[in-house]
Amino acid sequence: MTSSAVVVDKVTKVFNQGRADEVTALSEVALTVGEGEFVSLIGPSGCGKSTLLRLIADLIPPTTGTVTVAGQDAGTARKKQAYGIAFQQAGLFEWRTVLRNVELPLELRGLSRGERKTRAEEMLALVGLADFAGHYPAQLSGGMQQRVAIARALAVQPPLLLMDEPFGALDEMTRERLQSELLAICAKTGTSTVFVTHSISEAVFLSDRVVVMSARPGRITAAIEVDLPARDDTARQSEKYFEYVTSVRQALRGVPAAAPS
Amino acid sequence: MRKALLVLAGVAIFAALWEGYKVVGNADGTVLFGVRVLPRADDLSMPHLWTVVQRLGRPELTGGRPVWIVVLQACLFTLGITAVGFAIGALVGLLLAVAMQHFGLVERGLLPYVILSQTVPLVALAPLVAGWSVLWPAWMTVSLIAAYLAFFPVAVGMLRGLQSPASSGVELMRSYAAGWWRTLVKLRFPAALPYLFPALRLAGAAAVVGAVVGEISTGTRGGIGRLIIEYSREATSDPAKVYTAMLGAALLGLLVAGAVSLLELPLMRHRRHVEVVTL
Repeated sequence: MTSSAVVVDKVTKVFNQGRADEVTALSEVALTVGEGEFVSLIGPSGCGKSTLLRLIADLIPPTTGTVTVAGQDAGTARKKQAYGIAFQQAGLFEWRTVLRNVELPLELRGLSRGERKTRAEEMLALVGLADFAGHYPAQLSGGMQQRVAIARALAVQPPLLLMDEPFGALDEMTRERLQSELLAICAKTGTSTVFVTHSISEAVFLSDRVVVMSARPGRITAAIEVDLPARDDTARQSEKYFEYVTSVRQALRGVPAAAPS
Repeated sequence: MRKALLVLAGVAIFAALWEGYKVVGNADGTVLFGVRVLPRADDLSMPHLWTVVQRLGRPELTGGRPVWIVVLQACLFTLGITAVGFAIGALVGLLLAVAMQHFGLVERGLLPYVILSQTVPLVALAPLVAGWSVLWPAWMTVSLIAAYLAFFPVAVGMLRGLQSPASSGVELMRSYAAGWWRTLVKLRFPAALPYLFPALRLAGAAAVVGAVVGEISTGTRGGIGRLIIEYSREATSDPAKVYTAMLGAALLGLLVAGAVSLLELPLMRHRRHVEVVTL
């Protein structure tokens, strides 16, 4: 029963219910993320992909339906810090050093000072920023700040990682490097990931499964399994990769998906 | 070092303007259509700066203590009153801001009264507060008046600061299952500091004004406000004397502002070095 990291069951989310500006953000959405699976949510803006992520994170409650994270309801999972989250904006606390930013979730978990420091330093090493522990966020470039945010999300070593367009504000080169780093980290830690993006190539490169959504009301229209032999720079050039990109693009346009053979 | 030079330059410019005006200005002031647009420049209205400095060294009354000691003592007395008023005002302002941030309803209900409180003339309020002073020493009344002026900028500035964190920060704290208190301590309060310090500086200046005006309107003895009133009665015979008291009041304001800056130094460390590393 609990072999799924996330189960979203017939979830509908209506904002401003009963008012003139009522919006149905999600309608009857069902999604299951397996343990260790990397799932991307892709779709046009307004399709509710960020809303879906926030529902899984229990930042907002569903109108109807249930969300289960690691075998428990989303609220309990949040209180147990069963996931780490990263947003499009790094959202680091500017008054804390890089190290203290990564320590923040550990602090709230009540870890001792020594444990916090060791763990945070480990995480910074993982994202390649061990030398910048004492810097303040304002001293780092956007890509580095985003890496700190990822380290912070990973700090509690959560079984689930939720990411809302974390590389959206970065340039192409930084983006590709961070994608490879993220994959390496996920492989090393066995973390399940739900990744919101509006970049087709990013979704295909990262994911085991790309979930395509459409807007008004937000629904899941297709799910494309991506089976690439390897995820490296050669994979980005491979025939198969482009076939997946094409099928995701077609799914986004509403053409029935024809998975590559 | 550079800062000290700038301060000296500021003093020099002020002195040059003062003395310069005395040289070119009309002794009876410049009157335009029956309105005096420029002040009198005679020695009675604007004594030479060196006269004021000399006056500091001479006794207050014949055979009495020198003026500078009297002024300094009065300043210290008022400083104590200001400090207590500032502390009470800052604390009340902080609590009000936290309450207004926490309960949106309180903000809507309370903010108009907070603003209204500052439009009530202080002079009208002072005798009222003085009437309660059976409960505490007379100087405490003045402190309360100072606090009444000081709480306002802190409440308004701090409220703005507590509301400043981006929603991503608030969501992040929620994702950590942090409750209201921990969100306040870890996120809202540190985020509010850049708003708090300018507010505290305003509050410091307001507390000095409140203490000086409070002393005058309640008739409290021993402070710089009282001294200004006493010396201004002698303005026709000894014009430099009242300026020594005003000088004291100005120094008091600077002292309070300086104290707030000292408070700021250790808390705003992250603002100091902003060299960006690109990697």
